[in-house]
Amino acid sequence: MSAVTQDTAVSTGRATRVFLYLILILFALFYLLPLYVMGVNSLKPLPEITGGNMMALPQTWTLDPWRSAWSTAQIGVEPTGLRPYFLNSILMVVPAVAISTIVGALNGYVLTKWRFRGDTWVFGLMLFSCFIPFQIILIPMAVVLGKLGLAGSVPGLILVHVVYGIGFTTLYFRNYYASFPTELIRAAQIDGAGFFRIFWRILLPVSGPIAVVSVIWQFTNIWNDFLFGVSFGGTSQPMTVALNNLVQSSTGVKEYNVHFAGAILAALPTLFVYIVAGRYFVRGLMAGSVKG
Amino acid sequence: MGFLDIRNVTKSYGQVEVLHRVDIAVEEGEFLVLVGPSGCGKSTLLNMIAGLEAITGGEIAIKDRVINGVHPSKRNIAMVFQSYALYPNMTVGQNMTFGLEMHGVPKPERDKALVSVAKLLQIDHLLDRKPGQLSGGQRQRVAMGRALVRNPDVFLFDEPLSNLDAKLRVDMRTEIKKLHHNLKTTIVYVTHDQIEAMTLSTRIAVMNKGHVQQLGTPKEIYDTPANVFVATFMGSPAMNIVPATLVIEGGRPQAAVTDAEGQVRHLRFSQPGLAAWEGKPILLGIRPEAITDPEGADRKSGNIVALRNRVTVTEPAGADTFVTMTLSGKDAIARMRADANVVAGQAFDFAVNMEKAVAFDPATEERIA
Ligand SMILES: Nc1ncnc2c1ncn2[C@@H]1O[C@H](COP(=O)(O)OP(=O)(O)OP(=O)(O)O)[C@@H](O)[C@H]1O
Ligand SMILES: [Mg+2]
Repeated sequence: MSAVTQDTAVSTGRATRVFLYLILILFALFYLLPLYVMGVNSLKPLPEITGGNMMALPQTWTLDPWRSAWSTAQIGVEPTGLRPYFLNSILMVVPAVAISTIVGALNGYVLTKWRFRGDTWVFGLMLFSCFIPFQIILIPMAVVLGKLGLAGSVPGLILVHVVYGIGFTTLYFRNYYASFPTELIRAAQIDGAGFFRIFWRILLPVSGPIAVVSVIWQFTNIWNDFLFGVSFGGTSQPMTVALNNLVQSSTGVKEYNVHFAGAILAALPTLFVYIVAGRYFVRGLMAGSVKG
Repeated sequence: MGFLDIRNVTKSYGQVEVLHRVDIAVEEGEFLVLVGPSGCGKSTLLNMIAGLEAITGGEIAIKDRVINGVHPSKRNIAMVFQSYALYPNMTVGQNMTFGLEMHGVPKPERDKALVSVAKLLQIDHLLDRKPGQLSGGQRQRVAMGRALVRNPDVFLFDEPLSNLDAKLRVDMRTEIKKLHHNLKTTIVYVTHDQIEAMTLSTRIAVMNKGHVQQLGTPKEIYDTPANVFVATFMGSPAMNIVPATLVIEGGRPQAAVTDAEGQVRHLRFSQPGLAAWEGKPILLGIRPEAITDPEGADRKSGNIVALRNRVTVTEPAGADTFVTMTLSGKDAIARMRADANVVAGQAFDFAVNMEKAVAFDPATEERIA
């Protein structure tokens, strides 16, 4: 394997190599700059930002902006900090990701291994749902949520995100399971395993890579969603909406250090998911394309 | 009334009928091989016995119980797939006992069955490995083990050896034959390899285009093929099929063929019942091993006919030398001993064992003698 990669890599001289690395490092620094700015400014007292240099390191290091953003900052009318909204987001994102991934896996299983008349149509329609813009469904969805009595609640948000995510998760799992040998399913049938037993004992144990793809995709989309949150969140708004309220508040001084801390807090969970599961992500995306 | 009865079974996909009225009764302990070219419906028939494909018409019964609507797991059959279909996430042991577990057999009994089958197949040292860590031959054994553990009424094999290399295939073939000999199980085995069919089976069903062309013992199929298709499909090199005219001379039917120089030669039949074909064209079928040099001719045969003809090509193949000549404008192959003194381009005195010859109707291609 390593021999192959060495063969395909273009061999270069030492000077070119140094030059290449220099450029790569410069680009990396450039991309890391915003994170640096956010980091250092979230650790400064406010006067140091307004009166000084955005790029400089703090003269007095402080965690107060973080504390304020987390538990005391003014969000809308209440001085609650981001904490309750962070909780809302967690309560929304975990079930929404879990349900949409499981339903996607089941759909993929049925669409590839329990084919029925018209299954390609069903799959086509699900694919189509991936291309429907958020804005179009706002009003019909509001009506539906109202009828179900789920308007302005976390379960309502979960429902919206599950419905919207199933198209994507089904696509992932269907393509992954399509290359899974049907003979295995047949062998399991002869062995006496039923629909769910085959799914649970045969298919799920080998679904790791695609499940990771589905979880990352759903997690980042649902966590970062603003439009559904602001439209259907009601009193249980997610983190993104709260962050917006924090930053956009028109009263008083703009506490940039608190804003920076809050923004990082809002980004931490997705960062965490990427770091933990990221290396499976590429592997999972490649899994369908190359038969191994 | 057999052990496994396939009665007038048909299969259609939409408007297309791919199996036409298949009727086979398999006795207990029989090794039935379904053989035929690709796409003739072998796998479809096997999957219908297994319950993986619905039966369009007719019925299938095991031990007199009609199983048309019965779920695959309730038919008491086991199947070995071409790809082996081992569960990749389970160990060899788990793979082999999964079926028993699904049927609610308690763990101690499962383990007992596992140990005895693993011993039998010599895979007891592999039980904790995953299928990915096995060689092709070992996977093949595990797949057979998984079937054996269940102790089913009927074993179904779908081209189980086609993924193995040539040498291993021969070894596993012997292994399967031994296994059948020792266990006396009823087996239905699909292959498109006619040698596998000949060596393994107690009976062969030769299929083509969804029809069973002939059902019989390997010897019947080989010596008295029902038609030209069976004659040419079974045997390697294939049986020589030569156009001829039937003449009666001295009260005996003879096949009149032309040699390489255009001379008419007469080959005398042993078989009776050809008188009605006098003066009509027929197809003469002779297996390559029935054309030899005079010393190599079958001593027990009562009807060796000499035939002088020019040799086109010789192909030494170790144990045998294959010699090609022209008969009635067609290539015919003779199988000689390696030390036979044959030279390409020269005339040679062949000995044709006409006891083994067969004749076909050129119009229907059915055998007439
Ligand atoms: N799902 C299907 N829909 C339509 N036709 C099918 C279907 N499955 C199989 N066939 C057709 O049925 C015929 C028999 O197929 P089958 O798989 O039994 O062939 P086979 O004898 O096993 O061939 P091979 O040696 O290549 O495995 C083929 O002509 C095939 O095209
Ligand atoms: Mg087949």
